[in-house]
Amino acid sequence: MTSLASAWSVLADLGRSALQWFAGWRRILMFSAKLLVLALSPSSYRGPNLVALSRHLVKDTAPILLWFTLMTSIISLVIIHIVVVTSVSYGLSRYALEMVVRVLVLELIPLTAAMFVALRCALPNAAEVAALHVRGAFDGLSTGSAEPLQREILPRVVSGMFSVLLLAVVSCVVAAVLAYLWVHGFTAGGFPSYTRTFGRVFSPELSLIFALKTLGLSLAVGLIPIASVLYDRPNPRVRASTELRGLVRLFFMILLIEVASLVGNYL
Amino acid sequence: MSDKLTREQRTSESLEVRAALLVGLLVLLMAASAVYLLYARGVFEPSQRLVLLADDAEGVTVGTDLTFAGFPIGRVRGIELSADGTTRIVIDVPRKDARWLRESSVFTLTRGLVGNTNLRAFSGVLSDPPLPAGAERRVLVGDATAEIPRLVSETRDLIRNLTQLTSADSALAGSLGNIQSATEKIKERGALGVLFGNEADAQKLVVTLDRTNALLARIDGLAAKADQQVFGADGLMPEARAAVVQLNAALLEARESLKKIDAILVDAQAIAGNARAASNDLTALRSEVDANLRKVSRMIDEVNRRWPFAKPAEIKLP
Repeated sequence: MTSLASAWSVLADLGRSALQWFAGWRRILMFSAKLLVLALSPSSYRGPNLVALSRHLVKDTAPILLWFTLMTSIISLVIIHIVVVTSVSYGLSRYALEMVVRVLVLELIPLTAAMFVALRCALPNAAEVAALHVRGAFDGLSTGSAEPLQREILPRVVSGMFSVLLLAVVSCVVAAVLAYLWVHGFTAGGFPSYTRTFGRVFSPELSLIFALKTLGLSLAVGLIPIASVLYDRPNPRVRASTELRGLVRLFFMILLIEVASLVGNYL
Repeated sequence: MSDKLTREQRTSESLEVRAALLVGLLVLLMAASAVYLLYARGVFEPSQRLVLLADDAEGVTVGTDLTFAGFPIGRVRGIELSADGTTRIVIDVPRKDARWLRESSVFTLTRGLVGNTNLRAFSGVLSDPPLPAGAERRVLVGDATAEIPRLVSETRDLIRNLTQLTSADSALAGSLGNIQSATEKIKERGALGVLFGNEADAQKLVVTLDRTNALLARIDGLAAKADQQVFGADGLMPEARAAVVQLNAALLEARESLKKIDAILVDAQAIAGNARAASNDLTALRSEVDANLRKVSRMIDEVNRRWPFAKPAEIKLP
């Protein structure tokens, strides 16, 4: 009798946890939709909102742009060298460039940019928002006022998204240039064949999936950590803080996006 | 207070400029990447369509290159299955590269061992008419993996033949044994002895060779004498040369004589011309004399008619 009751209580706990998990995602989705509507509204880019947005854009992107580009350049060079040498040793050198473009530009760099921005900007921004939330800065949210969202939250979300996009684009361009220089050297003679390889890799379907994936990663990095700290209710049974739970949610979403893009590209 | 406000305003303006620069960089890079991708996909390049028909297009994917002499000149845009079950491989060939494709071009589809598939074009006669846009051609399929069973079978036959050739009782081994015994005999009796089978015949050949040498020496002497007779100081050739010189002189004299005869003939031609003119004059003179004689005759007839003793001219009929 006792064992049956304990089994029921375990099942009830599991059901409650699942319901809470889905409810959390629903709140995050609703909050994201609200923020996207605000992001498309011109009033969000006027007066003090524009100053706040500019401050966050510069603060979140400028300091890490150079360092991230340097870091990805070094990692790209190592990966390019490994791929080219391995391909040549197996007599498959004609596929080396295509593989480099696929591995670096399509897969690794957008993912690295998203993780880097998440750890470097999105989590600190989420912590700031959590602190503001504790101080009661968003008490007006329940009354339907968009002012705190436009002034405090939207700039942080947009700057996180922008940071992911800029870092990914700059690093992809730099990695593509490095791959060309590593394979062909400082000559323009290999440009036609390189362009042809690039065109072969970036078919319309793959280009669309790549663009959607990068956009999805930037949305996830910008939205999920902040939405988590705002809408995740404190759970006394879970030892992790709300920021850490937001990070887990973010990694889960990044994993989903990555798997979806891989399925779209290669299946 | 106003200083603080101005500083804050300046800071916010600076932030806006830096943010605008970052946004501009992102927009610029994205636009440049999009344009480069469109260029790489051949959007800005006019192209013509070529359709290759194959029974099986396995391994061909959208984006596969069509190569000519190792250079990519086209790209697969689509693969369709026609109503009769034939695979249609639709290829876009840029107009600037379409000159390598002719009416007589041959297209092949080869599959490599590691799964790579190649579409190749061969144009043997580049002076043929160019391939028109939208042309449909059969593609010859060459599958490297399909050749493996045949290759293995032929290799097995080859190895069996080699084994037969190299076995102890094979013809090759017998021939090698014979060659070995022949070389041993050569060592003992020399090559001629092995060739003739006995020493006496080999000796005869040596004697024949000696006599042939002596004969050749005599022929050599004869040739030297003949050379002296023909080309020597008093030989045939100098005399012939002198005769030719004399003949040349005689021919010169004959040419002079002929020139004189030519002049005489010219004079005779002139005389003949004069004689022809004189004969023309004689004809005129004769006609004049004839006219005068007719006049005299008419005058005598007139005198006779007017004369008293003249008889009337009558004609009596019987």
